[in-house]
Amino acid sequence: MSDRETTHFGYKEVPVEEKAGRVRAVFDSVASRYDLMNDLMSLGIHRLWKRQTVALAGVRRGQRVLDLASGTGDLAERFAGIVGAEGLVIMSDINAAMLAQGRDRLLDLGRVGNLRYALADAERLPFAPETFDCVTIGFGLRNVTRKEWALEEMFRVLRPGGRALILEFSHPNSRALSRVYDLYSFSVLPGLGRLIAADAESYRYLAESIRMHPDQETLKGMMEAAGFERCSYFNLSGGIVAIHRGYKL
Amino acid sequence: MSPGLDSHSDPDLSRDPQQAGVAPDGLQVPGAVLAAIEGALNSYLTLDPEGAQGFAPLYGRIIGIEIRGLGARLTLVPGPDRLQVFGSYDATPDCLIRGAPLALLRMMTAERKESEIGPGAVEIEGDTAIAHELAKALGGLDVDWEEQLARLVGDPIAHPVGQGLRGLAQWGRRTGDTLTADLKEYLEEEVRLLPTHYELEAFLAEVDTLRDDVERLEARVERLARGRHAGPPLARKRKGKRAKGPGPAKAQ
Repeated sequence: MSDRETTHFGYKEVPVEEKAGRVRAVFDSVASRYDLMNDLMSLGIHRLWKRQTVALAGVRRGQRVLDLASGTGDLAERFAGIVGAEGLVIMSDINAAMLAQGRDRLLDLGRVGNLRYALADAERLPFAPETFDCVTIGFGLRNVTRKEWALEEMFRVLRPGGRALILEFSHPNSRALSRVYDLYSFSVLPGLGRLIAADAESYRYLAESIRMHPDQETLKGMMEAAGFERCSYFNLSGGIVAIHRGYKL
Repeated sequence: MSPGLDSHSDPDLSRDPQQAGVAPDGLQVPGAVLAAIEGALNSYLTLDPEGAQGFAPLYGRIIGIEIRGLGARLTLVPGPDRLQVFGSYDATPDCLIRGAPLALLRMMTAERKESEIGPGAVEIEGDTAIAHELAKALGGLDVDWEEQLARLVGDPIAHPVGQGLRGLAQWGRRTGDTLTADLKEYLEEEVRLLPTHYELEAFLAEVDTLRDDVERLEARVERLARGRHAGPPLARKRKGKRAKGPGPAKAQ
């Protein structure tokens, strides 16, 4: 691998090795107020997007679920309430500060027993092949340096019949909405970031990274390239967010 | 930020509902409404932690509730201490309860669930034990409002308030009962607008007798008419034929 290989970090081009460190710095900076910011940024709608993701995952009692880039654990918490005592939910994040926040939050809520925590890189998952019935990643894939690796890893750890769900910002499907959304992301969002988390730069990165993320069809193609079958996506809120789903058959 | 707050208004989901795992037709409950229902149910459960234990055996069971008429589908997934409520859930439910809104409500609140399930007002597919367990858990919820009030203002105030409210409720119930009895007596005995219970019973018994008499008469007429068309039964036997005559139209 050449030293000059670069990838995008928001709108900037950075060496591949640097991206993970920079992403970590962003999330270290926002970890403590991540939930509050999410609520403010999406006007609380991110909870509805996550609820839809869980409904599409269709997880059953006794199954094993891996939640990548779990953050403060909204998805993992819901899954833990479904898989029952015989099931297992692994909450995983690459960022120690975020994972600690999430673990503390779930412990405080009394969610114990079927929840485990793993500090793991989505590009190199520390799990045996064919371990999980469902793998999810919510608002995390765009921060991964090599998305193809992450998709291949998700495919590897899934059992046959299992499914992967990717909840991620995407591209609005109407031009008018796109304009309003741009205005919001680049004017209002960094302002909110400065006000709440005292960090406008991190939130500018979030807005930029969303624009650099592959659109619905491209991501679907990437999933198929990683081996997933019956891939489909569901636009939410006019395409601002999309849920991609693929099966390992 | 987003004009479509949930998947309900989303063009992709509405274009291909099958793909989205929702019921092919009928109303899909918006995500915001589901979230509100879930929030309200869970707030209620926290008010009666002991009653909420009734949901423990249902942990992780997928319970579909289909509201007939509206065609709306709700999915409940009880957890250890809270319920999750979804619109359509992309897995076959362990138990699907189907019925009109009122019938469903009656099933949830009825003392004897069989009375609602028996006549087909509510249909249950899959594991019926789950439906019974759910109805039992819902029926077992009984919030101790005095205890909740005591948390806010303390026992010394909450207890008399609770006593007062209970007394008031009892007085209301007693007064209601008395009024009902008085009104019944006035209508039945004083102005004779309504029949008394005994009169009604006697009338119904007479109707029964009359109905039986009519049926007996009908049978007799039918028998006579058959005899007239076919001749004496002995002659029929000798000829080895069976009389076939168009019977008289059946009386209602």
